[in-house]
Amino acid sequence: MNGGEFRIGGVTCEDIALCKIDLKDERFRTSYHFNLDRLILSIRKAGLVSPPLVRRGKKRHVLVSGWKRVLACRALGLTSINVLVTEDKNDLRLFLRALYENLATREISLVEKAEIGRKLMGFGVDRTTLLRIYLPLLSLPATSEHLEILLALCGAGRAVKEFIWEKDVPLPVVQSLLRFAPVDRKALLPLLRPLGQNKQKELLDDVWEISRRDNITVRKLLIDVGAPETLASSKLSPQQKAEKIRRILKRKRYPRLSSYEDAFDSVRRKLRWPKDIALLPSPYFEDEDLFASFRFKNKKEFSNKLAKLQEMGSKKEFSGLFNR
Amino acid sequence: MTAIQKIFIDKDVLTFPLTRRILKNCPGVPSEVIRNKKELDSNLASSVDPVGEGKRHLRLSRQKGTFVKPCPCTPHYLGCNYFIINAALNCPLDCSYCILQLYLTNPVTTVFVNLGDLWKELDVFLARVNKNFIRLGTGELSDSLALDEVTQTAGEFVSYFRRKSKAIFELKTKTAHIAGILAEPPAENIVLSWSLNSEKIAREEEKGAPSVADRIEAARIVSSKGFPVGFHFDPLILYPGWEEDYARVIENLLRSVNPSQIRWISLGSLRFPPGLKPIIEQRFPQTRIIYGEMVQGKDGKLRYFKPLRLELYQKIVGLIEYWGGGRIPLYFCMEDGEVWRKALRKNPGRKEEIELILSPRITESCQ
Repeated sequence: MNGGEFRIGGVTCEDIALCKIDLKDERFRTSYHFNLDRLILSIRKAGLVSPPLVRRGKKRHVLVSGWKRVLACRALGLTSINVLVTEDKNDLRLFLRALYENLATREISLVEKAEIGRKLMGFGVDRTTLLRIYLPLLSLPATSEHLEILLALCGAGRAVKEFIWEKDVPLPVVQSLLRFAPVDRKALLPLLRPLGQNKQKELLDDVWEISRRDNITVRKLLIDVGAPETLASSKLSPQQKAEKIRRILKRKRYPRLSSYEDAFDSVRRKLRWPKDIALLPSPYFEDEDLFASFRFKNKKEFSNKLAKLQEMGSKKEFSGLFNR
Repeated sequence: MTAIQKIFIDKDVLTFPLTRRILKNCPGVPSEVIRNKKELDSNLASSVDPVGEGKRHLRLSRQKGTFVKPCPCTPHYLGCNYFIINAALNCPLDCSYCILQLYLTNPVTTVFVNLGDLWKELDVFLARVNKNFIRLGTGELSDSLALDEVTQTAGEFVSYFRRKSKAIFELKTKTAHIAGILAEPPAENIVLSWSLNSEKIAREEEKGAPSVADRIEAARIVSSKGFPVGFHFDPLILYPGWEEDYARVIENLLRSVNPSQIRWISLGSLRFPPGLKPIIEQRFPQTRIIYGEMVQGKDGKLRYFKPLRLELYQKIVGLIEYWGGGRIPLYFCMEDGEVWRKALRKNPGRKEEIELILSPRITESCQ
């Protein structure tokens, strides 16, 4: 489309100067934290195929949908672009137009879903409608609990939102993180960043539960486990720092289990247990059974492993494995 | 009187005698015939606290499935061959640790009013029992007596089971609603049982339930009338001071109730599926009981690390044996052979053996 105005579906198609679009007015915006490289390449090679939608303003137009396209055009140095212009004054209707377009064309991140929820409420959508109609639309369960998570996420600081977006943090971990006060969330972020999702959740739950169990602040707990010194260390990688703190927290959260694990390891060391034979207690020592396993390729290897096991069984330390 | 704020009635049970009785016993409580069950469910789902909301409502419905089912127990641990009668679902008491918060898909306290169908089903069920006795009760998916001031059905259960000598019927409760029971003559095969805990746990974690001292007093009254009684120390909970607190309760219990009237005492420690934890945190933000040293058991539920459970059980068993003279049948709920052996010095291999431990008087009379 190049030049020439025409009307289609209640909108006109016009060429306008990019500077006529008010990018400070973000009322209809649903896209955040994106990478424009591919879109810039696409516009450079193929042009702006799909025009953004704007609402006509007296001096400047309000962008309804097409944030990435407009920003990409700006990055390319374009001065005017082809847009669809609507005269519709109903904010909610326009926002929904943008929302449905986005839902049909891309994945919406959790942070964006939170922002969408907040904006819908701002446009007058009541809590019940938000919960019953829009949460399922955003692929979230229609429960009060999920709505609360979304609303809490809206109120979270920029650093937390960026972390959630960057690491694509799943809902259960977000929920665990948002339980903390803003200052504590910020303190926990450096520990969470290097970890995988399961370990993130584990660390958050351990911090939460220890602080509740022992009635101490998160700040004091982190000091108690040496987090400030560990994080300041120049000898450890971010991954090593996070793992170190995670292990200390685990011991603090499960002291008796940890002492059993230590005792078991200690006996195994005293026995000089062969490295090529695995020896494990039952998960959490819930059963009395121990598990020994090994691999072998032939009769000789098999006999060799059996001989090692026989030797282990004859040592006086062996019975220590069964002390509970 | 329970704090029922509204009664919802399924259209097809409007004329049932129990429906009429319940409505008569709830003067001033608004009622509504359910025209659209989905709307009721959807209203609850969008509530901030669907479980709490469900406890303030009472639904009168028809049990469309079977009333009697085997107690599901839990995989990989020893069961006791118990059968549950689902005459009601959910309960107005609000215990922080209650598994029903997660287990029941419908949070509304529901009474099944088609009792005629229940008696018929029980007649057939009990006629098929091909052993000396069978244990069953109404207190698994609800409290047996919590709604009895409204339903007045406890007496009917007693009357029914008095005639069924093969059945050992248990009414299990945390309440002191014993008026309906006291109006009935006792029967050897009908056991009134109470869930007990320390006073601290009862006060902090069992919202709406009477104090433990009141429960023990109710048990004393019922047992002195001649009813056999039972007790369930479940869930036992570890916290600073648990030993002294449980010792006090056990001493009070066994000084108040004649041990010879006690048919059984069961022990179980706090355990719950991981999915219940966030529900407890959200509904009971003050509670600390879920932050104990709990690990995943063989059935996937969170339970105290085994050495801690063993210490707990050994202490409680010792106290019961001391004050009860070693004559009271004890059993564990959802524990394995190692716990039985180390805490109770018993080695039951199968649930039938546990069943035998539990009903000595009936067993003796049948042998």
